[in-house]
Amino acid sequence: MKRFHACLIGALLLAGCATQAPPPGTVVAPERFGQLVVPGRTTRAELLAAFGPTRSVSFDSGYQAWLYSAGAAGGASGKGGEELVLLLDRDGIVRKMRRRPAYPTDGQR
Amino acid sequence: MALPMRGLLGSWMMVNMMALAVLPVHAQEAQAAPESTVQPAAKPQTVTVTSTRDPVDKSYRKMIRGMERFERDHALAPQATLRFRLLPRLPTVDMHGITLKVVGDRITVPVPVAEDNSFTLPRNEQALREDAAVIANRKTTSMTWRAQVVTPGLPPDMRRLGDLRLECLVGVEAGLVSNSSPLFGWISSALNSPEQVCNSADGNFLFFTERPLFSVTLRAGERTEILPFRMLYAGGDQTRDELQYCDCQVMLDRTYYAPIWDRSWPDDTLVSFAYMEDAPAPASAPAEGMP
Repeated sequence: MKRFHACLIGALLLAGCATQAPPPGTVVAPERFGQLVVPGRTTRAELLAAFGPTRSVSFDSGYQAWLYSAGAAGGASGKGGEELVLLLDRDGIVRKMRRRPAYPTDGQR
Repeated sequence: MALPMRGLLGSWMMVNMMALAVLPVHAQEAQAAPESTVQPAAKPQTVTVTSTRDPVDKSYRKMIRGMERFERDHALAPQATLRFRLLPRLPTVDMHGITLKVVGDRITVPVPVAEDNSFTLPRNEQALREDAAVIANRKTTSMTWRAQVVTPGLPPDMRRLGDLRLECLVGVEAGLVSNSSPLFGWISSALNSPEQVCNSADGNFLFFTERPLFSVTLRAGERTEILPFRMLYAGGDQTRDELQYCDCQVMLDRTYYAPIWDRSWPDDTLVSFAYMEDAPAPASAPAEGMP
């Protein structure tokens, strides 16, 4: 029984270690992003055409949250750089946008 | 940093789900045993079941331990009170008209449930002795449970970090998070003590807002920070298949991690929320001359 438990724990630890960190959002130039993205008007197709696909989360409501990064590559992983997050509604139109600057404490998390 | 542990927890959940497929058989056997007295062959045996104990119903003893934890660590939220709350776990569950009771071998104690599906548990020594279960009139896997620690007088759409810290400690102590099973309780208890979960950035204790969430901001004195994307939506990297093992399954857009482990944020830190959709405008007063 002890051997079974040891094997089980080992297998689960290996499974846990195999998980990859999520990719950060696509890196964009913040000035261009600010010019092109207008809440209430910009569409999903326009985002894809201008900046390409990026990391996103889809919800049962039909809404989606899209993550872009500005500045240093990998910024959205919490190691510096600015996050640009968009909320797209069910019709694929940007409804909200927020910027999250890099904070000095980001690397400590 | 949170991801390897989430993968590990996902694996636990897979194993737990397999365990659950086996457990009801044992549970039925255990319950049927006292009734298996010899009966005349011609007379069919009748067993009246007044309630069933699901292997993953919440333990009354553990929930009382959660309440004791609240008292011990009340300094985190000195003005707050404790309630427990039922939340949807499956899209099909009807969250209206839920009834709840504490069921032991010989005792049943009804528990009033408020309109928001929150409740308090009465302390009952007989139920404790009988290792009673807290049972809702819904399939156990259709709901999840949380502690609700709220300091009165906070502005709307705002929480206090000390309250959230205490919610985590109580919630883990009380065994409220779904997807754990008694078969692996000895392992999950070893890996998931309240201190391990609530004081670690890898603790993965999920909080839920009342409405779909777009942004979370922390404020303590002059310091203000917006939470990163990876602390919203359960990390934002769950596949459809993985989501079924998360008790955030139907509340993904209301899910966030709070930095409860980060002591550089004091207990009085305010956690404010911006939602995907603005709050509906309050009903306007009827125009003059209208009924």
